[in-house]
Amino acid sequence: MGVCTFISNTKNLSWTLGRLALALALTTLAGWAQAPKDTDLSTVSLEDLMNMQVTSVSKKEQQLSKTGAAIFAITQEEIRRSGATNIPDLLRLVPGVDVAQIDANRWAISIRGFSDQHANKVLVLIDGRSVYSPSFSGVFWDMVDVPLEDIDRIEVIRGPGGTVWGANAFNGVINIITKSAQATRGGLVSTGTGSQDHADALVQYGGQIGQDGDYRVFGKYFDTASSVFPDGRQAADGWQGGHAGFRSDWNLSQRDTLTVQGDFLHTDESQTLTTLFSNALPLAGTINNPVTATAGNILGRWNHTLANGSQMSLQVYDDYSRHLDSGFVDTQNTVDLDFQDHMALGPRNDVVWGLGARVIDSQYGIGYDFTIVPHRRLDNLYSAFLQDQLKLTDALSLTFGSKFEHNSIAGFEYEPSVQLVWTPTEKQTVWVSGSRAIREPSPIDVGLQNDAAIVPMGSSFGVVELFGNPNINAEEFRSLDLGYRALVSKRISLDATAFTGLYRNLVSLAALTPYAASQQGVSYLVLPELFVNGGRASTYGAEFFANWNVTDHWRIHWRISPGYSYFHMNVDGDSSSLAMPAGVSPNHQFQVKSLLDLPHHLEWDSMIGYVGKLADGNIPAYTRVDSRIGWRVGESVEISVVGQNLLTPRHAEFPDNDSLDHTLVERSVFGKVTWRF
Amino acid sequence: MAFRLVTVVFAVVLLALSAPAQALDEYQVKAAFLYNFAKFVEWPAAAFKTSTDPILVCVLGRNPFGNALEEAIRGKSIAGRSFAYRHVSDAAGASACQILFVGGDESKHFRSLLESLKPMGILTVGETQGFAADGGVINFKLDDGRVRFEINVEAAEHEQLHISAKLLSLAQIVKPEKLP
Repeated sequence: MGVCTFISNTKNLSWTLGRLALALALTTLAGWAQAPKDTDLSTVSLEDLMNMQVTSVSKKEQQLSKTGAAIFAITQEEIRRSGATNIPDLLRLVPGVDVAQIDANRWAISIRGFSDQHANKVLVLIDGRSVYSPSFSGVFWDMVDVPLEDIDRIEVIRGPGGTVWGANAFNGVINIITKSAQATRGGLVSTGTGSQDHADALVQYGGQIGQDGDYRVFGKYFDTASSVFPDGRQAADGWQGGHAGFRSDWNLSQRDTLTVQGDFLHTDESQTLTTLFSNALPLAGTINNPVTATAGNILGRWNHTLANGSQMSLQVYDDYSRHLDSGFVDTQNTVDLDFQDHMALGPRNDVVWGLGARVIDSQYGIGYDFTIVPHRRLDNLYSAFLQDQLKLTDALSLTFGSKFEHNSIAGFEYEPSVQLVWTPTEKQTVWVSGSRAIREPSPIDVGLQNDAAIVPMGSSFGVVELFGNPNINAEEFRSLDLGYRALVSKRISLDATAFTGLYRNLVSLAALTPYAASQQGVSYLVLPELFVNGGRASTYGAEFFANWNVTDHWRIHWRISPGYSYFHMNVDGDSSSLAMPAGVSPNHQFQVKSLLDLPHHLEWDSMIGYVGKLADGNIPAYTRVDSRIGWRVGESVEISVVGQNLLTPRHAEFPDNDSLDHTLVERSVFGKVTWRF
Repeated sequence: MAFRLVTVVFAVVLLALSAPAQALDEYQVKAAFLYNFAKFVEWPAAAFKTSTDPILVCVLGRNPFGNALEEAIRGKSIAGRSFAYRHVSDAAGASACQILFVGGDESKHFRSLLESLKPMGILTVGETQGFAADGGVINFKLDDGRVRFEINVEAAEHEQLHISAKLLSLAQIVKPEKLP
């Protein structure tokens, strides 16, 4: 038919091509739609089995390939070979996650926008324990530490996960899962030193307790050097920390397992702030700000498998944290109880449901230029969720459900989602999902008092003061994701996701009527700005990544993984009125990872990452190049040398952020020896 | 704009692919093989605690089967023994198994694992080149999209397993060798 006519009749060529290509693609897909029949192969004879044609599906892809969400997992192998020494650097391995270092101990990490050191729209979990600070719904990344050798995998979901994970699984979920104690028997000593990480040492031992129990205990110490300011001066942001912990796993019976784990962490840090002092207005200054973080937790999880295969788990934890920063002491104690049941209902329904309760006891001190009122508060969160995966046909499944939550600040909320997953062949998955997620307001949204800026006014001055709002509501995100995964051949797999969404009720600032105030005989004008749910934004983007096993020999194995993500956000009205900035995420990110196994137990691994410019803060685009050479000596010793940011001597990744002066990320080298016994 | 981006991304990806042949999943077939192996292997009496103990089929490390293995053995029994599935992560966990599948992901560690598994009647099954030659009992191979297997008879004897002539006749027999 008249393709040419069609094009000539349409002004927008790319639009036409897109539609044409889609039509062709759908026709092609329709031809593949005959799924293989489910047959009971165990009744087939050996000879017949040997004559069956099979498709080879690699493991990781098979586990994740049928998920109706934009999920990506980093395996222990990739963690070990990344050469990273901290969790933020590991997250750079995930296409679509924004990781920017602000100074030596601060990062801005987010998914699909709203990046900030206090980014509050991503849920982060370690072994099922939420590690975002309840006071501002964001993560103190300096307190998120796990011995990297003990991580089994990190799963990252881009996009909302509220139906299962609940409030704060708003723009994404980062789920760090450690190995069971059975997998870490024996001793492990790992020590490293380098130009940026002066010292990094881990000592660990795992063994058995009786017939059915396993344990591991570890101790860790690290010392990170200070970085430099853009003008070349040395910053005072070096930091040290210690971390100790344990995990024990028990097979109580054939059907019951019990995990008990806990850890304790303390760090001493410093950073350079340019801040106001609320008790001596209009005094402002640049100071070296001491930071200390102390955190401890203990968690127990009981899993029970019923005779019919249904699985139940009951988890309880207590998490304590104390963070001193900007003169502000933030002390939290959280007790959380979580129950989940996963069962098959008939041949077509796979149901997961759960109940949760959380109580948070918070205490706030008074910082240089801000505080949270009241200074002591008790919050609680009750939740229930139900999700059903309904098998419509062999190739088509529909997952739907909702979380229902009651939070002591915002009251009742619901977070529904629906996902349609189509697997036309074992090698391909097409999925679409729609959801509504919310971010529960946190105490900072309700009770912040912050002297944010001084405005000179003739002989006097005005103070821009931000106020939390007791009537604040949850932020809302409605989104639509579309995804496609394919195993093109035995060696190549692809994963593509496109998304679009609408944010409403984003916390923004509304100016109130100025009023006069005085302090220690000094009179000034207060220019109050109140948190309100006035922000709206729309977003769209796409993420793409692939794996290519270039060679798969017994002795030489080479894998290349390219990734690209595009992100766009459009804020309605004045974007500077948003409490959480929208302009400090790159529009384009591109990366290529290469893992090469060579003879003689040598490994050569590299990663190139391009991060586009940030619209706000004038941070130009930069390219990171990391490279690692590892050598396994015998069965028990591994030696590695890592160079990070090899391309340029130093670069900025993020602008000054909430009084914090940003520094530069420098080229660095790190050597490490790991001994297992 | 957003929709156009979506259509272009997906259309391009879809078009980049060629239509695959209709075929069974590799691990569905391998799961059926594992069940079939149990029919043609006799374990030493010491491999079981009691005469009614199930045949414990284990997967070491990452499980490539999804649910296929559990489905293949569900409700089956051989010589009065039912089947059970367990996921194990190291040699100690594997010591109770009668059939131990070592996936390709674990291939780097299988030599040290084999050394730490004393002869205790475990049918080790791998899928990595050199697995059988290095001391594993059975190793899967893919040959033009079809599943084949090798058997190391000496390793089977070492594990005190008796493998029926029928299974041996279908297998490629390999001799143990030492890698440099």
